[in-house]
Amino acid sequence: MANIFPRSANYLPLKIIFCLLVLGGAISAIYWYYLTPEYMRAGYQPIQPVPFSHNIHVTQLGMDCRYCHSYVEVSSHSNIPTTQTCMNCHTQVKANSPKLAAVKQSWESGNPVDWVKIHQVPDFAYFNHAVHVNRGISCASCHGDVNHMDVVYQKEPLSMGWCLNCHRHPENNLRPVSQVFNLDWKPGNGESQQQIGLELRDQWDINPPQTCAGCHR
Amino acid sequence: MGHKSAADLRGLPPLMKTVFRHPPEDLTGKRYWRSLEELADTPQFRSWLEREFPAGAAELDGVSRRNFLRLMGASMALAGIGLSGCRRPEAYLVPYTKSVEWLIPGKAVLYTTSMPGPSGGLPLIATTYEGRPTKLEGNPLAPSSNGGTDVFAQATVLDLYDPERSRTFVLNGKPATAQQFDRDLENIRKALEVSKGAGIGILTDEQTSPTRDRLLRSLKEQFPQINFYTDEPLGFEEHQAAVRSLFGPDVAVKPTFANADVIVSLDCDFLGSELTLQGVRDFSRRRRVNGSTDGMNRLYAVENRFTTTGGMADHRLRCAASRIPAFAIQLAKKVASSTTDRVLNAVVAQLNATGGEFDDAWLSECANDLVARKGRSLVLVGNRFPAWVHGLVFAMNNALGAFGSTLEVFGAPRVKAASLRELAADAKSGAIKTLFILGGNPVYTAPADLDWSEVQRSIPEVIRLGYYFDETSGKANWHVPEAHFLEFWGDQRAADGTYLPIQPMILPLFGGLSQIDILAKLVALPNGVQAIRETFKSFTKENDFEAAWTKFLRQGYAEKTSYEAAKVELNPNALPELLKTVGQLPGPVTPSAIEIVFPADYKVYDGRYANNAWLQELPDPITKLTWDNAVLLSKSTAKALQVEDGDLVEISVGDRKLQAAVMIAPGHADYSLSLSLGYGRWVVGKVGQGTGFNAYKLRTIDAPYYATRATVKLVQKNGHKLVQTQNHYSMEGRALVREGTVTDYNKNPAFAKAVWMDADIPPNVSLYSHPPLSAPNQWAMSVDLNTCIGCSACVVACQAENNIPVVGKEQVNNGREMHWMRIDRYFASADGDKNNPHLEDDPEMVMQPMMCQHCENAPCETVCPVNATVHNEEGLNVMVYNRCIGTRYCSNNCPFKVRRFNFFNYNDRPVLDRIEKGLPGFQGKSQLYLGPLAPWGMEEISKMQKNPNVTVRSRGVMEKCTYCVQRIETAKISQRIKAGVRGDLTLPTDSVKSACQQVCPTEAIVFGDMKDPQSRVVQLQRLPQNYHLLEYLNIQTRTTYLARLRNPNPKMPGAGRVGRINVDESGDQRHGLPHTDTKPTGGNA
Repeated sequence: MANIFPRSANYLPLKIIFCLLVLGGAISAIYWYYLTPEYMRAGYQPIQPVPFSHNIHVTQLGMDCRYCHSYVEVSSHSNIPTTQTCMNCHTQVKANSPKLAAVKQSWESGNPVDWVKIHQVPDFAYFNHAVHVNRGISCASCHGDVNHMDVVYQKEPLSMGWCLNCHRHPENNLRPVSQVFNLDWKPGNGESQQQIGLELRDQWDINPPQTCAGCHR
Repeated sequence: MGHKSAADLRGLPPLMKTVFRHPPEDLTGKRYWRSLEELADTPQFRSWLEREFPAGAAELDGVSRRNFLRLMGASMALAGIGLSGCRRPEAYLVPYTKSVEWLIPGKAVLYTTSMPGPSGGLPLIATTYEGRPTKLEGNPLAPSSNGGTDVFAQATVLDLYDPERSRTFVLNGKPATAQQFDRDLENIRKALEVSKGAGIGILTDEQTSPTRDRLLRSLKEQFPQINFYTDEPLGFEEHQAAVRSLFGPDVAVKPTFANADVIVSLDCDFLGSELTLQGVRDFSRRRRVNGSTDGMNRLYAVENRFTTTGGMADHRLRCAASRIPAFAIQLAKKVASSTTDRVLNAVVAQLNATGGEFDDAWLSECANDLVARKGRSLVLVGNRFPAWVHGLVFAMNNALGAFGSTLEVFGAPRVKAASLRELAADAKSGAIKTLFILGGNPVYTAPADLDWSEVQRSIPEVIRLGYYFDETSGKANWHVPEAHFLEFWGDQRAADGTYLPIQPMILPLFGGLSQIDILAKLVALPNGVQAIRETFKSFTKENDFEAAWTKFLRQGYAEKTSYEAAKVELNPNALPELLKTVGQLPGPVTPSAIEIVFPADYKVYDGRYANNAWLQELPDPITKLTWDNAVLLSKSTAKALQVEDGDLVEISVGDRKLQAAVMIAPGHADYSLSLSLGYGRWVVGKVGQGTGFNAYKLRTIDAPYYATRATVKLVQKNGHKLVQTQNHYSMEGRALVREGTVTDYNKNPAFAKAVWMDADIPPNVSLYSHPPLSAPNQWAMSVDLNTCIGCSACVVACQAENNIPVVGKEQVNNGREMHWMRIDRYFASADGDKNNPHLEDDPEMVMQPMMCQHCENAPCETVCPVNATVHNEEGLNVMVYNRCIGTRYCSNNCPFKVRRFNFFNYNDRPVLDRIEKGLPGFQGKSQLYLGPLAPWGMEEISKMQKNPNVTVRSRGVMEKCTYCVQRIETAKISQRIKAGVRGDLTLPTDSVKSACQQVCPTEAIVFGDMKDPQSRVVQLQRLPQNYHLLEYLNIQTRTTYLARLRNPNPKMPGAGRVGRINVDESGDQRHGLPHTDTKPTGGNA
């Protein structure tokens, strides 16, 4: 009786397995890369209703973060400035600039400005700004060099793994509390970030939670 | 060399799966049981026990697998069409336009306020986020409450955001505007100027608002002929009438439990429906045993049904409510003969009552105990008994020297107002042309024979201020939406008279008005904050008014404003007059002369909370009934009437008839029925729709509390589905509640440590590694069973704090209620003899709050395949929602059954809406069963109540008590912020309070840090009566309990059987029963 299957069929299962492995690996790799926050979120730069430039306000004019984000040191939430905060200056300065139309309109109508949210953690994660900035974590650690951004974008992935990296090794981001709002701060005097961070970690008894309940409630 | 296991080498018995043989329930000892089915050990009950969740809980009701697949297929197809991509939707950050003073986004702002109530205001602290009140807690500064609240104060924040509350003005059935109403009110005011008030009536509910009183008084001054009426369906009219005639006008008599050694409650539910926070806290302080039992009080309760008061009693006597007056006379006679008090003897000589059914020894010993503690004893009688009974009890208390010690007389001026009955008479005579109904709901609550809805219809103009468009609004010309007390400026006096503010937390959501607003417009005086400031002037003696005002608002009460003691004594000459109203006493109840009693409901009170879903779903503290009331009766009565649970009966009193479902209630007096008021409303939102039976239909002017000579006829077997949480999560044969008497305690204070299985604990070895508990804070909780009255305020507080959804009657029936915390109510038979006919009829009751015990060796953690429930280093058993895949293994392995599973998306699907048509087999079921086809999304207004610090859980996720981890984290973060980079990170002692602890009116729940030697939880856990649950399982619970102690009078009949669950008559604590397969090598008995 003739062979039903040709000799090459002996290798068919192996070939199928090999193809499946490659395919599976590729799918995993694609998923791994393209569906992580690192790909999906980092770099997110939506168009805002007001072309507000942090670069002009912070770097050129020298304003402090806390002029607008006034409650960052006391509240879990870093507040977006009210229209009134904008109008404190802009009734005098560039009062008629077309870029400020949305702000002016908001001030006159009483309707708020709908800023597009960029840095977004899931609803079941509870991030607290105040405890970070009071304990030596700068805005720049999570938000990047916002002071040089004309249009704000998301610098870091803000994924859970990324959060935990810092919670496990806070020394990589700790800096003197006086420098928290100085986004351009770099360790000086030949010291490395690691050295300073470890020193501060010991001094201040920094022990960030790594348990689920630290952020998920 | 033979093989040796590691255990052998350590000298331990061989490790094997230890099979614990729970001792078979000792049939001769005291037995604890939770329902009659359990006691009866029926096959149905067996099958209940066998399952983790009750039968059907894990299945879609009435849906076969095939139907389910069909449904899911359709929904998948729909989902495919709707798939619009994987991008995260754009979100917006919306700041204010103008900055708001005091408001910090993301931070809670706390305000003091108070909740109005018939017996006085309740001092509160409201938590608000961005101007939304989300949670109410007791004000710990205020002198009369000391921080606790009742269950209603916890639930009322849900009323504020009730989507079905009244939103519009209604004029003769058509929507109208506030301007129209203003114009009408102005016209009435102009007419008032002419008529001087003739023809105008104002009907109010009972409140203690000095501003309201001030406005009413100035109305009377301006328009002397105006008529005031007051109506409170569960009010204190009779009590006040007795006080008025014996002590004079404008005084109040209040018990001082702090001084009472012996208390006799004659159907006075002072730990339940007639509760004052001060009273309950004073009582529990005298109940707590901290090293010594010396100061412990003793409570005798005589009542027809189990109340929370009866559950706390050391001696309880079942007695028909209509026989309480006769009982009071008998007791007074005994007291009179041994005190030889002239006044009391004169009184009892005037009275005669047959009392053959009462146990004479009980009466004598009770009276002896009262007399023995003369000056330290107290007799109380329920508010709604006739005035003469109150008079008699006052005379008894007078003979016992209670006045000035356990009873105090205060000056408490009130605006004079006539009753609803007099209003009906005035209306019939045509004297009332315009009637304002401010609060209350008389069409629903008025006595049936008053025919109030007809009376109201006969009045030409009725203006009704109501929170809901309800029965009364439907028959009024004007319906005006009422503001919630969190929406207006007001004031109250607490039960002790302390002046309290009502501060608005939010502008009226739907433009509602307050009573003060309407009255102020009528007298043309300022309303709002000006009105309160004006009133406050009479409550402060400070020179700097602004400073005093600020302080008043800041601390939430005005100092030294409690009612002043009145120097009046009982006027014995008024007694004979009062006792003339005795009339014919009702005879003993018999099968042919059954009585029906109308108690206040523990959940909806008089019906005002009928549309509050938290309260509707809360299990009744005694019956564990949800979403209904029922006619309660004893087993013997049920046998005599040949009815069973859920049977629909028709009760006739005279020519009034009512159909209602019956439920057998242990501890109920024979031939007595109880049907609580407040259910069966017919104009109510969808929450209250179709719940319970309207007892007001049987209530008449002459029978406000009980009606005698009722007849009962069976209408339909199993005619109504009663849903209880009672049989769920039963625990058989485990010594969960431990109880003893004062004598046991004094013999061995640690009597509760080694009971039953825990008497000989084999050396426990865990296969799993113990979590490293390395953090500086280790959280723990202590629950004092000795002071827990079972009021359930904690259950609702937990619901409010932790965003726990309501699931509806149908789901509760499937055992899917979501409460993280429950209160287990066990009945303990005084005698284990199954042939004892009274076994089911006359048990004792104990309460046990039950929530996640945060076991250090948590059984749930070892079975979770995805690590969704893990331990953290602070000893918390943490539930991680985002990891949970819903296997429910953890719940299966939890020995306490405290885990709750989201079988549906209860938050986003319409739980209470029903499927009208379509899908065969689904009609009438909850729209939850439409799955993805049901409307999605929470009502905007309901979102406002949610605690922003707690995740709102979705379908398919397990959840449970977290020890209020959000509060722990908030406290830790605040301390870190405060400390900055150099300060101390240690949390101040007892700075974290869990939600249940905060509200507990008896301070039974204490939460804190086990590692802080100063903390209260450490002090309590060191007490000898402290014990762990299921210690022999080596689960090492963090929550511990303090054993229940009873203080029986050794001379009382049956005293030997009180509180003896864990200790047999000989005082031996060990029930020498086999424990395990392995040979016990140790133990601490």
